[in-house]
Amino acid sequence: MAQLNRYFPKLCHPTCGLEINFQRIRRNPKVKVFTLASVAAVTGERGDYTVTVRQAPRYVKANCTACGDCARATEMKVQNQFDYNLGKVSAAYLPHEMAFPMRYVIAPQVLGTPEAERIKAACKYDAVDLDEKESTFDLHVGAIVWATGWQPYDAARISPYRYAYLKDVITNVEMERLAAPNGPTQGKIVRPSDGVAPKKVALIQCAGSRDYNHLEYCSRICCLASMKHAAYMREQSAEATVDIYYIDIRAHDKLEAFYRKVVNDPHVRLIKSKPAEIKIGPDGGPVVCGENTITREIYAEPYDLVVLATGMQPAGVEGVSGAPVDAYGFIVPEDETQGIFSAGVASGPLDVSMSVQSATAAALKAIQAIR
Amino acid sequence: MTTMSPTPTRPYDLGFTRWVYQNIDGGDRMALCMQCGVCSGSCPLSTTMDNGPRKTFMMIRAGMKDAVLKSDTLWNCVSCYNCVVRCPRHVPVAYILHELATLAVREGYAPARTSETNKFVKGFTWSFETFGRTDERIISLFYYFQDGFVAGIKKLLAFKSIAFAFVKVGRLPLGLPHRIKNRGELKKMLAAAAAIEARHTAGRK
Repeated sequence: MAQLNRYFPKLCHPTCGLEINFQRIRRNPKVKVFTLASVAAVTGERGDYTVTVRQAPRYVKANCTACGDCARATEMKVQNQFDYNLGKVSAAYLPHEMAFPMRYVIAPQVLGTPEAERIKAACKYDAVDLDEKESTFDLHVGAIVWATGWQPYDAARISPYRYAYLKDVITNVEMERLAAPNGPTQGKIVRPSDGVAPKKVALIQCAGSRDYNHLEYCSRICCLASMKHAAYMREQSAEATVDIYYIDIRAHDKLEAFYRKVVNDPHVRLIKSKPAEIKIGPDGGPVVCGENTITREIYAEPYDLVVLATGMQPAGVEGVSGAPVDAYGFIVPEDETQGIFSAGVASGPLDVSMSVQSATAAALKAIQAIR
Repeated sequence: MTTMSPTPTRPYDLGFTRWVYQNIDGGDRMALCMQCGVCSGSCPLSTTMDNGPRKTFMMIRAGMKDAVLKSDTLWNCVSCYNCVVRCPRHVPVAYILHELATLAVREGYAPARTSETNKFVKGFTWSFETFGRTDERIISLFYYFQDGFVAGIKKLLAFKSIAFAFVKVGRLPLGLPHRIKNRGELKKMLAAAAAIEARHTAGRK
């Protein structure tokens, strides 16, 4: 969520919501948070579950003040996963400016190199512990709410779209990072190949979603996310044109007003077609090819930048024994009297406001299950 | 081979739609088609087709039997199967087009008789039924001479330079066509296949 630039439909920033929720967590003595942790197994029954948790080492102790001396002490850079690997970050890094807890992390790649000692020496609070090991521990709980969230579908698997070969074909989550002020380009949307602001942009819907070869379900958020991306483009450039390729636009109830606002812009064009492929043009740029299903015209349209609206996949539940997953990997408990519930995208594709609603519902159900 | 699809009483006859869903292999999956256009967009011959696969499916769903079976879309498919592998709904697009072409032949639609593809296919079939192998020279000759002797000679001369170029690089053998052993067994297999098809066709509603 922190990775998003803004939310639809009001285009507000996610920082305020995060701030409120982090404060609530921090002030509530009954909430314990384990970061860098994943669930290995779940056993037991309602009222008496044992959850085995595996916690990866952070190499930084709790007395870290986030001063940033360690980051300045090293030259070594690692891929910035927060920016979907679009940029690099120091090997001793703060995950992002809203990080919770507000502590640095040391990338495991740096261990055993002289850089690691340099990082340790730079810390005047002696907060660096290079000998930290992965730990496993058990939690005994009465009910469980899965809120493991999502990850974007791997666009490289949609081979006709040549995401792996064309630099200027990016995904919708990468677009969010490009547009974000704390992103790799400080909020300026540019082409990854040459750093120039794009003039002609294509947004391709259902890249992987609603497709038996990829994700069989509709990911629900991508239509509105692309409307938002069209709005970003139009905000940044007066002459930019945006073409949205779609099968059908799923702007539900109250979201339709935002959709109407975006498509009323004469620079935004809707093309009813699922592109068949993206070819490599003579200048090495992307050329979107397919059939316009209203005019039956076969098109091959070159673009400066193509954004694939990749769908949502459940995250962090693969290989966990005891997780009640459905055919797609979402957590869907068959029997809700059992004390296992799911919230947010762990339960199915949802947008932010629907995730908040489902989280409230899951919390209430969990409390009732152990009363 | 006598069972036909229902004769339409009006341009849009859903009786045909239902018949296709029930009797064409994979036809029932057509109900899942969401008209995204990936099949027509992926098709290397889409620009030579009057309707293309996507529109053909919409026409079938609208019950336009005559328009579908007279369409050249059925005949211009080159079986590259791009549409089949890319279809997000797993509709066996190319297979359905082939079945519809067979239906158009069986029901005597004019484009089926005059289609160049169909003439070529006849040569292909004759070659493997006779020799057990496909021989490019025999298929070509069979195809060239179907419209009469003069037309055949004209077509032969038109391809003369290509043929000589092929001979030069050893891509066009000059010996007798190869035959397989035990052609009697092949005949039995083909007869059995024909019997299965007849049974299958007779079972159609």
